[in-house]
Amino acid sequence: MSELILQALYSGLLQGGSYALIALGLALVFGAMRVINLAQGELVLLSAYIAYSVESGMGLNPVLAIPIALVVVCLTSAVVYFVVSRIKKDREINSLILTYGIGVILTNGMLLVWKADIRSTSSEWMQEAFVLGPFYSMRSEVLFFGVSLVMMAGLWWWLSRSWYGRAVRAVSSNRDAAKLMGINPGYTELVSFIVAGILAAFAGVALFSYGVISPAYGGVLTVKAFIITVLAGVGSIPGVLIGAVLLGVAEALTVTLASSALQELAGMGLFLLVLFIMPNGLFGVRGRRG
Amino acid sequence: MTSRYQGIKRVAMLAWAASALVAGTAAAEELKVGVEIPLTGSLARVGSGMQEGINVAAEVFNKTNGKHKVKLVTIDDESAPAKAIAAVEKLAGDGVLAVTGGYGSNNIAPAADAAAKAGLVYVTSGGVDDNLVSSGRKNFFRINNVAGYQKAMVGLLEDMNARSVAIVYSTKEATAALAKDLEKAWGAKGLKVTTHAFDPAISDFKPIINKIKLQDKPEVIAMIGYENDYVGILRAARVLKPAVKAMVGVWSLATPKMAADFPDLVPNVYGTALLPYPAQFTTADGKLFEETYRRLYNKDPDYLGQFGYVQSMLLFEAIARAADKGTLKKGGVAEEMRKTDRETLIGRVQFGSNGDNLNFTHHMGQHQGNKVTIVWPKDAATGKMNYPAVPW
Repeated sequence: MSELILQALYSGLLQGGSYALIALGLALVFGAMRVINLAQGELVLLSAYIAYSVESGMGLNPVLAIPIALVVVCLTSAVVYFVVSRIKKDREINSLILTYGIGVILTNGMLLVWKADIRSTSSEWMQEAFVLGPFYSMRSEVLFFGVSLVMMAGLWWWLSRSWYGRAVRAVSSNRDAAKLMGINPGYTELVSFIVAGILAAFAGVALFSYGVISPAYGGVLTVKAFIITVLAGVGSIPGVLIGAVLLGVAEALTVTLASSALQELAGMGLFLLVLFIMPNGLFGVRGRRG
Repeated sequence: MTSRYQGIKRVAMLAWAASALVAGTAAAEELKVGVEIPLTGSLARVGSGMQEGINVAAEVFNKTNGKHKVKLVTIDDESAPAKAIAAVEKLAGDGVLAVTGGYGSNNIAPAADAAAKAGLVYVTSGGVDDNLVSSGRKNFFRINNVAGYQKAMVGLLEDMNARSVAIVYSTKEATAALAKDLEKAWGAKGLKVTTHAFDPAISDFKPIINKIKLQDKPEVIAMIGYENDYVGILRAARVLKPAVKAMVGVWSLATPKMAADFPDLVPNVYGTALLPYPAQFTTADGKLFEETYRRLYNKDPDYLGQFGYVQSMLLFEAIARAADKGTLKKGGVAEEMRKTDRETLIGRVQFGSNGDNLNFTHHMGQHQGNKVTIVWPKDAATGKMNYPAVPW
């Protein structure tokens, strides 16, 4: 039994890392702009399809798709920003509807270009087992768990130490005061969307390397990211990792100790329980952003 | 004068050509058939596969039937029950004579009800839930069913002399129904059966496979899901390497597409398969299907295309017979469908009073090299099964 639980904890940890990478972009944009980007999952999926094209069309390792994915996804993310920035009234609710629509457009675009077939990497190296004592995983899972940690540390450093990161936090705290300090809020928000695009590009290549993708999968990713963002406490970037790992571990333990059919239910149960006890999420502080 | 004469001649020739065209169209009566199918959403992949078969059936029918022509009116149901109802209602409003298509039992049931309300025949191969044929739908027809898949999987494990099996199944309607039936059937035959239901949204199967490896220790793992589930399960099994003798799946697994897309994952894996790969069509109907499919889609035909082709061809033939008898508007299509009794690409098709195909039995194929070999039943086998053998 202990062997089963140890493996479940390990699987949950790795799964949490991948969830965190997907959720970070959503958390950043919400923290900076109070915009829930419901197209974030589709941006991740777009990057995954670029990785597929690079692997199947050029015969290259999907990791080498990252530069192309960065350019395409960041540009798409910037376009999403320009559309969202047109909203002048009730930004939170209107951006929800608008980004949902953008997500539908992206889904159908991917369906037209890449068809409805399921896709995943055929790279043998990525799929090979990585065994660490009693722990089993695919190489790609460990690789991208590491990438996820690096990206998170990088984002944390960027938000707390760099000028632009501080500007993002300033705009999210008080847009008018930030303006008086010489910060251009529009430009800062664009930067946060581009950083979210960078995160989505890495998350997509990771997803293609250990998971299975299809055009309809974007919505599932967005919902997962949204749950983690709220679970962590909206605006709390470090909390995203802990929230994601908690979700991953809860899901894996449910499969091991109860039934795999209850996995998604366990995730939602945890989400509701945390919101019931701690309405601001695990690490959220009232009024805190970024 | 000469140029004026030539002008009149030209006009006369154009008038003659136009009248010939009108006469030709009138000779081949156009029969409008509705296609309600998921082309977007979660079922887009299987819906598109079935649509290819439906289009091939229309192409072959129009080429071989001198008297009638079918015209397809297609509406995407977006993989959603409410949209499926709306699609059928719109098709009925457009004056179609019957509906072919449908995927997913939860979409098919309300769509078939909408068709029945409009007095239209509804034919499908996309839903295997028994409730579809046990709810008294009079104009509903289906060419495949759970029993056919169950027979094939039970038969295969019998040939393997397997004594224990772990069933890993998606909680979707059709997969759960098949898993429950298999659990009963294998249990009745004395096999030790364990079951693991999984939510369709999950992607990491390692905790499930680890449970099977450390607790169940079966000889066979039976996977009842869809392509994305198979990839997840096989990847987890490849990492954890449970000591099983075979990995057996059901639909969408023993296909050329899986062999081409996941060459490292599928060797020695079993799945239901109508035909071996490379496909060997021996009948005239089969050869015509294959030639038309390749011409239209420039790829190997798959099982979705075959099912879509068979259900639609049977429908077109029934409509044509009803048109000949002048009973199209008097329930003639359903009547002619009930009289169906012919050999098809999926074997003999006859519909029972509930609209289900009485003769449906599937075959089991195994990925061997880059080929799919039919290994069950013995009389249809194109090679011997590799057993025990797993992909890793």
